[in-house]
Formats: sequence, structure tokens, C-alpha cells
Amino acid sequence: MSWDPTLQNHLTRRELLGRAGTGLGTAALAWLLQRDGVLSAEDSRYGLPDLPHFAPKAKNVIYLFQNGAPTHVDLFDYKPELANRHGQAVPNEFVDGKRFSTMTGKANGKLLLGAVEPFHQRGGSGAWVSNFLPYTASMADDLCFIKGMHTDAVNHAPAISLLLSGAQLPGRPTLGAWLSYGLGSESESLPKFVVMTSVSKGTSCGQIFYDFYWGSGFLPSRYQGVKFRGSGQPVLYLEDPDGIDRSIRRTQLDDLAALNSLKLKEFGDPEIETRISQYEMAFRMQSSVPELTDFSQESASTLERYGRDVTQPGTFAYNCLMARRLVERGVRCVQLMHAGWDQHNSLTTELYNQCRDTDQASTALVQDLKARGLLDDTLVVWGGEFGRTPFLQGDLNNRPRWGRDHHPYAFTIWMAGGGVKPGFSYGQTDEFGMNVVDEKVHVHDLQATLLHLLGIDHEKLTYRFQGRYYRLTDVHGSVVTPVLA
Amino acid sequence: MIRVFGQLSLLFTVVFCNLGFSAETTANEEVAFDRVILPLLADKCFRCHGPDEASREADLRLDVREEAVSEDPDSAATIIAFDADASELIRRIESDDADEQMPPPDSNLSLSDHERGLLRQWVNEGAPYAQLWSFRAIERPEVPKTSRRSWPRNPIDSFILSELEQRQWQPAAPADSYRLVRRLYLDLTGLPPRPAEADAFIQDSSPQAYEQLVDRLLSSPAFGERMAWNWLDAARYADSNGYQGDQDRTMWPWRDWVVQSFNNNLPFNQFTIQQLAGDLLPQATDDHRLATGFSRNHMINGEGGRIAEENRVDYVMDMTETMGTVWLGLTLNCCRCHDHKFDPLSRKDYYSLFAFFNQTPVDGNGRSGQTEPTLRVPTRAQNRILSGFEEQIFELQSKVEEIEPVSLSANALNEEQQKILEKPIRERSQDDLSKLRDASPEDSDYKNQIEKLRENLANRDRVRSSIPKVMVMRDRGETRTTFILNKGLYNDRQDEVLASIPEQLPALSEADGKNRLGLAKWIVNRSNPLTARVISNRIWADVFTTGIVKTAEDFGTQGERPTHPELLDWLASELHSSNWDIKHLYRLILTSETYRQSSKSTLEQRELDPENRYLSRGVRRRLPSWMIRDQALFVSGLLVPNLGGPPINTYQPSGVWEDATFGRKSYQRDAGEKLYRRSLYTFWRRIIAPTMFFDTASRQVCTVTNSITNTPLHALTTLNDITYIEAARALATRILLDQPEATSQQNIEAAFRRILIRHPNPTETEVLTNSFDRLLERYRMDQELASKLIQVGELPTDSTVDPQKLAALTSVCNTIMNLDEALCKE
Repeated sequence: MSWDPTLQNHLTRRELLGRAGTGLGTAALAWLLQRDGVLSAEDSRYGLPDLPHFAPKAKNVIYLFQNGAPTHVDLFDYKPELANRHGQAVPNEFVDGKRFSTMTGKANGKLLLGAVEPFHQRGGSGAWVSNFLPYTASMADDLCFIKGMHTDAVNHAPAISLLLSGAQLPGRPTLGAWLSYGLGSESESLPKFVVMTSVSKGTSCGQIFYDFYWGSGFLPSRYQGVKFRGSGQPVLYLEDPDGIDRSIRRTQLDDLAALNSLKLKEFGDPEIETRISQYEMAFRMQSSVPELTDFSQESASTLERYGRDVTQPGTFAYNCLMARRLVERGVRCVQLMHAGWDQHNSLTTELYNQCRDTDQASTALVQDLKARGLLDDTLVVWGGEFGRTPFLQGDLNNRPRWGRDHHPYAFTIWMAGGGVKPGFSYGQTDEFGMNVVDEKVHVHDLQATLLHLLGIDHEKLTYRFQGRYYRLTDVHGSVVTPVLA
Repeated sequence: MIRVFGQLSLLFTVVFCNLGFSAETTANEEVAFDRVILPLLADKCFRCHGPDEASREADLRLDVREEAVSEDPDSAATIIAFDADASELIRRIESDDADEQMPPPDSNLSLSDHERGLLRQWVNEGAPYAQLWSFRAIERPEVPKTSRRSWPRNPIDSFILSELEQRQWQPAAPADSYRLVRRLYLDLTGLPPRPAEADAFIQDSSPQAYEQLVDRLLSSPAFGERMAWNWLDAARYADSNGYQGDQDRTMWPWRDWVVQSFNNNLPFNQFTIQQLAGDLLPQATDDHRLATGFSRNHMINGEGGRIAEENRVDYVMDMTETMGTVWLGLTLNCCRCHDHKFDPLSRKDYYSLFAFFNQTPVDGNGRSGQTEPTLRVPTRAQNRILSGFEEQIFELQSKVEEIEPVSLSANALNEEQQKILEKPIRERSQDDLSKLRDASPEDSDYKNQIEKLRENLANRDRVRSSIPKVMVMRDRGETRTTFILNKGLYNDRQDEVLASIPEQLPALSEADGKNRLGLAKWIVNRSNPLTARVISNRIWADVFTTGIVKTAEDFGTQGERPTHPELLDWLASELHSSNWDIKHLYRLILTSETYRQSSKSTLEQRELDPENRYLSRGVRRRLPSWMIRDQALFVSGLLVPNLGGPPINTYQPSGVWEDATFGRKSYQRDAGEKLYRRSLYTFWRRIIAPTMFFDTASRQVCTVTNSITNTPLHALTTLNDITYIEAARALATRILLDQPEATSQQNIEAAFRRILIRHPNPTETEVLTNSFDRLLERYRMDQELASKLIQVGELPTDSTVDPQKLAALTSVCNTIMNLDEALCKE
């Protein structure tokens, strides 16, 4: 804190009274407070002084997290052999000694299940994308697919936690918290790390969004993700109470600033200074957040691009448009979480809804960012916590109840923008999509790569807690350089 | 005082520059192993050369002296005592060769020149090892002599002043009486004083006035409520299970037990034994069994596809780890999977403690928030109502029995009715009675009596089923064998272990038995070096923000060393010698001169001791959010101070639960008095905590330290939440009713004093009075705006008060409640 006591005396009683009497505006007040050394010019917007470690490719991240684990073999990882041997038992050598969820137990003898919808090669890059995702397929040349993803956890919460925080158990800082801590943010009137959640309509999946998915762990809690709500006010207690309008609120804040400044002079507690600036940020958020959520200036074609749901708070489409608006306004990390991908028995039913709810909006977001020139320094990541078994869960004769179980051994994610190779595909699985056979990418490698794209050496962004230095990638991870543009 | 600091500032600079070294060792003193060397070894070496066998490199361990040190200069030992130059350890840490250097360059660990010097000095001094400070027996230390004899009021002050004098720092002047009395009330009751109470104290010239006030507050029922919050955080208390489904539970009678126990000043050893093993006490009462709800406060996972045994193991781990953190100050969870990298605790130690809790009959099945074993805990009202019903039922049954032979003629009855009549009257069910109702169509009296009886039975059963069931502890009959679990996996069993205490700590008394009761007694046995230190430290942290040991949850090698080890031991021994008297410990701390200091700080003080660990000034910190809410309710006169009872749902923005649970849980706000109960009684939904609180523990796992952050979202809460606006309105209404003829300034002064207790200074009065007058003008011009403000919340609007004046004063009260001083204790 740069707080020079010799400057304090400049804040005279007359100034304070004059200020209170004239209902001084925010800018003038801030100027006065700053001039007087009451508010330091520096604030928590800024990150660590040694960051970035090198020139970043991306400034912001939008993580489109698909909770529940999308089925890689039905969406991105084309396996004709799976269709050829549809209904046959999975060969033992593919599953021996592997742990699956308790629903599957031992996988030996399970029946292979061909992709539900046909695949086609798309665009100039010829990436295989299923008919399930026509919009995504149309932008295949903008995407970088990582088909060799694998993870350690076989259940949702530990796997999501591992992917977002580097550890299966809750309590570590998440990607967004690390970025806020390390890089700060360019926004003066919005939080650094914003989270929004949605769930597919009519899904039977009941997954919960635990707040440790965007927690700050042992980092100071000002770095935790601020979760905007999915209905009503995106931020709680944002509206002035009935009977207090903006000018009355300004009067109140001027009084608070004036009297808190006096208190600061008398007691010297630096928290008072933070308090004054946070009250001012709150005041700004009361204006910036409604402006943020006001889509009336968006063109009809933009809205159309995101789909019908875009005007409905709580939908994935709404959140996607919000994500673009957030990064436009300088927010460092936006984490959308969309639940409903857990197709244990609904590959031929709910999976269609799930894709419909996400395909168009995900594509619209990437294309919208691209059209506005924002994609160059925004990294978009789309993917879940693991994949789904190439073998069937359920009864082969009961097509309406076909499902696939959790599968940590192989899955696909895609990235776009911010320094990754477009129209590129990395990683190979075996003929069934069961195991990664070439160009494996562990979740820690993905984390290292994301940090790298933001100009951060994942081994150097550390925080000491309970006697050891922690980092997002724990003691693992290496940057997947082939995907870098 | 400011002047004193000014004169000494040069001296401080000198002291400050040397602080890094002088804090650890002074010129002629040996390097302390446990304070200096052990943390260094633990930090920089133990990851590869410590207790964890699996990750040990080169077969070298440095945590055991016999393995690392030899006095024989010709031995192959890594450390040759008294000869740094001959010691491989020193050669390696001083080496520039990347292949030899320790810690290895790729480990991300390194030693500073200063640290290398310390290790060299320690080896030259013979490389003595000593037990970890917290594992040493507690001995009552001598109270130090200080040169300023007049300052200390009790031994706490001597310990504090002695440290200050060593640094040539001065303690602060006493806080002014108004601030002190507000601080004291908040610390002991979580509520501020009324201005009149503060005035009475200040006018009381008796030398015992302060001590008497402390005693009075310690005996206030609000004391138990104040204490309970932190204990509930530690006990991960909540009103629902957590996880998917998040079923409700009825553990609140246990919460009320905690409040009562603090109020009754139940000695802490009993408090401990009853909660960990009340069910196993020889003459266990329902109250003792209720106490064991402590261990059952863990989350319950009702997700589909979970294996019951996996859940069960999770629950037992949670019980074990919670006990470890709450009483022993040890972070045990690392030992689930591997030997503790830093502390001398092994996986075997972990599962040996786990074995004590592993005898639970809970099998991990189901998702009920009332999973057996449970205890029915009727409220007094329920008991009264039930006995009323029983009386009436008895009377009605006698009456029916009497008239039955007359009213019923046997041949008019069907077979089913005949059968029922063969049953004794007291065994007939409601269903039976319905079938008998029309057995005698002509006899309306019989019909009426039967119907009345049936209704009474129905009502009684309804009340019975509403009796809360608290999940409690019991041991199953057959001993369950405990195994070390590989990587903590429930189904990957390794060696069998027996219930026992970690080897580094005093053993379990044979007489106490190898069960939970034996463990509970061991925890509060005076030979246990941890419990009294851990508890004293948390009480200290409750009052002074930071503990003497900053890491209240970790008294192991990786935890911070105490700033005042002798003071901590003195407090711990005081806890022992007072027979674990918690109120006594609070009384000692709060009557100390240390506590009574002013919290004003100078730049020099903040530079030398930013966290105020040495207490050269009083504590100034933001109140917990639950206390901020309680304060608002209290100063406005809205607070309904009833103790205990079922949890309540107060004002919360709509859609919050629905959003978090996909519409499965809908929030039903309570009304009337329930809106104004203390925060302690707010329903705690584990997956979506009440939104009006911030910086609170999640209540998902044991938490003994809370963060105090400072974010814009907090400002939005206290500026805009209905609770705070309604409180401001209630306070403004009261003031305007109490003093109808008052001037603006008098109104402002009254509001200021209700909230901050002290009198405003002239600037404060002027700023706020100016605002009030301007706001009044504004509301006069916009009367509709005023009428909106004075209707926020459920409280009816007083029609006798000038609405615009009320609105203006409400706004100003809202401002005052958001002043930094109102949000803080100071």
C-alpha cells in the first residue's frame, strides 16, 4: 500500500463538508481521495508484477464447460470400426484392469455401440463432426480439436474439480482464480472472474454446480469467481431499494466516503481504504451490470445467430452472449457451465436436446467474437470432464434407452482463438475410441497449455499455503506445443 | 502516544532491519531446533528425505536424528555433529554443482544464504533435535518480569508487554470507554450495547465496574449464541445433507444443546466427552446422546450410483478429520493416502484414529437426513401437547370401554368389527376406530366418543411425527475390523490396524478403554499436549482475530510457530487448572490491559507489525456478516431474542434455491417474528448457503478459521438487502416517535448513538445533518419516493410519523449502518 501520512492532512474538514454539501460526483470524489492519498492509485485490478512471464497469445478465456461429460464417440471422435462391430463384445484387452463407474463395474463383455448419428468430414480441414452438431461442424476450420484428452477421475465432481482446480478434492484455486490472482483484469466496473450456469431443458440429469468449481481455494477470496445468477438479477442485491434512487444513493456514498476517510485518518486501518473503493465499485456495478445485461443494442442478426433462447436468462444461449459482452468489457475469465451431458440412458433422446441447446450458441459465440476481432485475444474452450464409454450401457434391443457410462480414458475437447491452431486436430484414440494411443493430453497438460497461452509459465505461478508451494498443475503438466499457432 | 512513536521511529527502523535474524536467534543463543531448523528441514528437505517412506530418496531421512546424525567423524552419516565442514548435508547445500546441489535445482526449492548459515551453525552446535513444540507436555511457565510494572493487569499483559519491551515497542493507550464497551458487548454477546447501558457503565465510578460488566455479559443468554457460531462452523453444522438431493435434516436440537452448554459453562472436558462419546458414558442420558450429534453433522451423499461402503468410509473419514482439526489442531487428511510429508504422522496413525469412529452402525446407504441411529428430541411445547393428548386419550378410552357393552349389540356387528372388539381398547388403531364408528348407528354418543378418540389419536401421532430426530452416535455390537486403505480407496484394503493414538503422542489410558469414550477422555487428559493449546488458541483468535498460532487448524510442523509460546502455554495451563472453564478464559483475556488498548495505529506500527501479531494496539476488524445482521436487527429494536428452536427462512432474494437445485427446492420465506431471529437460527442449506451472509464457512467440512474479505458484493448486501433497509426504517421510526419535537441534529445524534454507541463528533454530526436536511427536501418534493422507502419490509408503517422525515432519516440510518465503524469492532 502506498500511503503517505504526510498527505493525509490535505483532506480538510472544510473539503469534506463542501463535498457533502454539493453532492460531489464519483470522479471528482475519487480524484480528491486519490490526491489526498486516501485512496491509493493502485488497486486490486492489477495482477502480480512479474506477470505475464512472456508475451501472451490470449488476454481472456471463455471456458464453455459441458458438465456431465459429452460423448466423444458420438460427437467428434469418428470410429467406423465401432459401427462395424456394433453389438459385439468389447475385446478384453481394451478394458482389462480398468476402473469404471460403479454402474458399469467390470467392463468385460460389454457390447460395443456404434455412433448414434452419422459423421461427416467438414470444411477444408476435413475434421469429422457428427450430425448431432451441425453448427459446430460448420466452423470446423476455426477449431482446434484435442482428441487425446484423458483424466484420472471416474465420477463427475472429482473429475470437474481436477480439470478446473488441478485436484480431485475441493479446496484448490480454480483456473479463473489463478488468472485473477496472476493477471488482474482490465475492467474497472466488473469482477475479474465471472461464472454463469445453465442446464439443458427437460434433462433428467440432476447435477449440482458446486461453488468449489469456481473457488479461490487458499487464495484470498477476492479472487473467487463471482457467480451471476441464472434468473432474476445476475448479481444479488444489485438494485437500489425502493425509495432510494441513484442521486440519494450517491449522497449516501459521498457521506460514507467522507466519514470513512476521516476514520482512516484517525485509525490508519488500510482496510478502510479498501472499503471505500469497494463501495465505489459496488456503485459502479449497480450501473454496469444492468448495462451488461441489456441486450437491446444487440442487432437482430446477432440475437438470431445465438438462437431463440438468447433473451431468456438462465439458458446457455443467454450466457454465451453474456460471455462475449463480459470479455468485451475486460473481464479476464468467463466460465460457463452447462449441465445435462450425462447420457446413461438417453443417447437417442435427451442427447438431441442437449446438442440443440448448446451447438448453435457455442458456434455463435466463436463467430461473433471472430466478426468483432475479439477472437484473436480470446481463448474459447469447449469440453467436459471426461468422455463416455464406447460400449453400451443398457439393453441393445431397447434403443430408446441406450446410454454410455463415464469414461476417463479418452475424450475430446475443442479450442478456438487466442493462439491455438485453427482447423487442426491433435491426438489419436484406438479403433473404438477407448484409449488414447498417440498424442496423449492429460488434464494437467491442458491446464499448462491454457496458462501458456495467457503468457504464464505454469511452474512459476505458485502460492504458498500450509508449508508448500501450490500451482494449478500440481507437480505435473507440460505445454502441448503442437496445438500452438 | 503518537509523539512517543515519532521519537522512537529511528530506533524502530534499526530493529526492523534486523528483525529477520533477531526473531529467530540472538547472538549468543543456540539455534532453536523446533522453531528454526525443523521448519527449514520440513520445507526444503522432507519431501524426499522425510517420514514418507514411499517418496524417500537415497534412503536418507532427516526427520529422525539417529538416521541422520553421528558424533563419529568417520561415519557415513549425512551430518557429523559439531563439524559442519565434515558433514555431507552442508557440503551438498553449499554446492554449486547442479548434480550435487540440495535441494536439487529442478525441485523449485532453494535455500537462502541466511538459511544455509543457520543449518551450518546448528550442525556446529551438535545438530541437536527436539520434539515439535506442540507435542511437548504443557508446563505452566513463569510470568515474565517487565520494566513497566504499572501496565500489566494480569499475567496475559506481562507476556504481551515482555515481548513488546524486547522490541522496544510501547503498548497503546486504552481505548475510549464507548468504543471499549461496544467492543466488549460484541465479543461476548454478538450484539452491541444500548446507549443507556453504555452510559450507565461509563458513569459507574466503581473500580470493579468493568469486571462486573464482563461477568454480567458472560451470564447473558446471548453469550451462548455468540459462542455457538464458531462451534457450528467447526462442527460443519447445517440443516440439510449437502450433495445432490440435499435433503433436509433436523439437527437443530443439537445446535440448541451447544448454546445451552456454553451458557451453562459446561466444563470443556465434559463438553468434549459428551459430544464425542456421550452415548458411551456409564449413565448416558438423552442429553448426552444428543451431544453426539456433533459427529453426525457430516454431509450425506445420496447420489445414485454411489457404493454404500464408499459413502460410509467417507463419513468415518470426515468424523476422524473433524476431531483431528477441532481438538488436536492436526490436519489429518493427507494421511488418508500417504504418510504425512511433514508431520510425524503415518497412514497407520490415521487409520488407527479412524478405527475409533469406524464402529458406527451407519452403512452408507440411503439419503435420509434422519439416518439411524437417531434420537427423538421433543421440545417442551411438544411434550406438553403430547401429554395433553395422552390424558384426553386415556379418558376417552375409559369412557368408550365403559359404554361399549351397552351401546353395541353383538349380533349387529360384522366379523371385522367383532375382531376389533376383542382387542383391548388401548391397542386399537385409528383405522380400527373408523370401522367401529358406525357399529351402532342409533347410539350417537358412542359414535361421537369413538370419533373424538380417533381424532385425538390422529393429532397425537401428528405431533409425534413432527418431533425432530437428531442423528446421533452409537457403536454397533460386533467390532468392525479396520484396515489401512490404499490411497484412501474404500475397497483397497491393506494391513489391519487397531484403534490407537499416534505414536508421537502420549498413549491411551488402558482404564479408559479403546473406544470413542477412551479417545474422548484421552483428548481432554492433561497429558495431551494439544487440546488445551488448540482451544486456548482459538479463543484467543476469536478475540484478537489471529491466534497466537496463526494456523489454528495446524499445530504440526507446517503450521506457524506461536508468536508467544509461553503465553499460549500459560493460557492452556490456566484452562487445565480452572477445570476447563471457558468463561474463565474469556474473562481473563477481556479484562486484560492488552484487550483494552485503543485500535488506532500509526504508520510505524503498521510497518513493523502489519498484522498486529504482537498487540501493540487493540484489534480493529470487520464483524462477521452474521453479526452485522444481528446488530442491525438489535439497534432497530426488531430483534426477537428467543433462544433455540427450528431454523427459519428470513428475507432472501427470490429464485436462489430454485436456481441452485433446478427447481427442486423452493424457498418459503417465513413471516412475522421469525424474520427477526438471530442469524444463528437461519436455515442453512448446505448446497446454497443463505445469501445474506458473506465470508462464512461453507459448513461442508470442518472450518476453524474464517477469512475476512472486503468486496463490492458485501457492500451491495448491507446497502440493499431488505433486512438492512427495514432495520434502518424501524430505527428511524423509533427515533421520530421517541422525540417528536427533536431537531434534525438531535435525530441524527440519536441514530448515530443507537448504532455506534459513542457520541458523534462535530464533523460527523454536520455531514449527516446536512444530508438529512437535503434528503428531507428531496423527499418533500418526491413524496411518492418517500412512501416507497418507508414500506420496505414486512413491518407495518407507522402512520403517525411524518413520512418524508421518516424516509430521510431511514436513508441516513442506512448510511450510518454502512459506515466502516459500524461494520467493524474497533
